[in-house]
Amino acid sequence: MTDLQLDIAQLIIDTLSLEDLAASDIDPSMPLFGDGLGLDSIDALELALALQKRYEIQIASDSRDARQHFATVASLAAFVEAQRTACAG
Amino acid sequence: MIDLRIADWRAWAPGLDSAQAWQAWAQAPCAPPEQGEQPDCAFLPPMQRRRLSRMARMALHVAWPLCGDDEQLPLVFASRHGETTRTYAILGDVADQQPLSPTQFGLSVHNAIAGQWSILRGQRAESTAIAGEGDTFEHALLEAATLLDQGAPAVIVVIAEERPPEAYEAWIDDVPFSYALALRIGASRMGDATPASSWRLRLAGHAAVASRSDWPFALDFLRALHAAPAPFVHTWKTRQWIWQPNL
Repeated sequence: MTDLQLDIAQLIIDTLSLEDLAASDIDPSMPLFGDGLGLDSIDALELALALQKRYEIQIASDSRDARQHFATVASLAAFVEAQRTACAG
Repeated sequence: MIDLRIADWRAWAPGLDSAQAWQAWAQAPCAPPEQGEQPDCAFLPPMQRRRLSRMARMALHVAWPLCGDDEQLPLVFASRHGETTRTYAILGDVADQQPLSPTQFGLSVHNAIAGQWSILRGQRAESTAIAGEGDTFEHALLEAATLLDQGAPAVIVVIAEERPPEAYEAWIDDVPFSYALALRIGASRMGDATPASSWRLRLAGHAAVASRSDWPFALDFLRALHAAPAPFVHTWKTRQWIWQPNL
C-alpha cells in the first residue's frame, strides 16, 4: 500500500464515519461500492468533496470516467496522482 | 378531548438510561451534566449507524424496543428545535462559503429522523414530523390520537431535543439537557405485560398569563407517570392542556 493509498483509505474512513475500520483494513483493490466496502451514492458525493478539499483537485461531476476512478482505493490514488500532475502542469 | 393509553415508554438522557434511573430522576429531577454522550445503537450494524446524528441515535434508541419486528406502526416524530447542532454546522459552512456536505444537507430536514426510522426499522406505515412551540409534546399526542382514530392499533411517538450550540443560548431556553422520550400509544405489544397508564387530555382556552412547568412538558409527563395518578395542567400561551388520569 503506497502512502497515498493509505492516506486515501484514512480519508474515506474519516469522511464517511467508518468507525470500526482502520486504513490498513481497506485493501487497495477492494471495490468501494456495492459488494465490497458497501458505500453508496451519497458516499460518492461526500468522498468527491473530501478529495477535492484535501488534494486541491477538480472532479467534474458529469465525468463519464468517475465510476472507474472511484472503483477502488488504488484507482482513486492513480486518479489523484494524475490530477495533481495536470494541475501542477 | 382525547383518551390516550400509554402502553409502554422509554427515555434517554445523559446518564439516564434505565427505568430505575428515570424513577430516581422523577422523584428528584435535576439536569444531568452533559458532554456529548449518545446511545451507541449497537442493535444496528456499523454501516447503518454511521450517518445517525446524536439526536437520531437518541430517537432510535428509545423508539426501537417499543415496536415489534412483525408490526407496522405509524410514527410521530416531534422536536421543537430539531437538529440545531447540524443546522449550525451547515450555516457555518454557508457563511464561510464552503461547499456543503451532501450527507449533512440531505439529512437536514425535520423529517430526516422519521425517514431513517422507516428505512432502518423497515417501517412502511405513515410518519409525521412536527415542530410546535413549548407544547410540542401535546401536539404530538394530538397527532397520535388522530392516527389511532384512523384505525392504527398503536402509534409510536418520539419527542427529542438536544442541547443547542452556544450560539443559540439566548433564544433556546427550554432544553435544560438533551433528552428523548418514546411512547407507545394504544395497544400493547403482543405478550407485553407492562402495565398501561390511561389519560384524558383536554385543551382549554386560557386568557391569563402563561405559567411554566419547571421542566419541558415531555419530561414533566414522565414525572407524572412515576407519581400517584393525579391531574395536572400544561399551559403555553393561550393553550391550557389539562391532563387527567383515567382510573
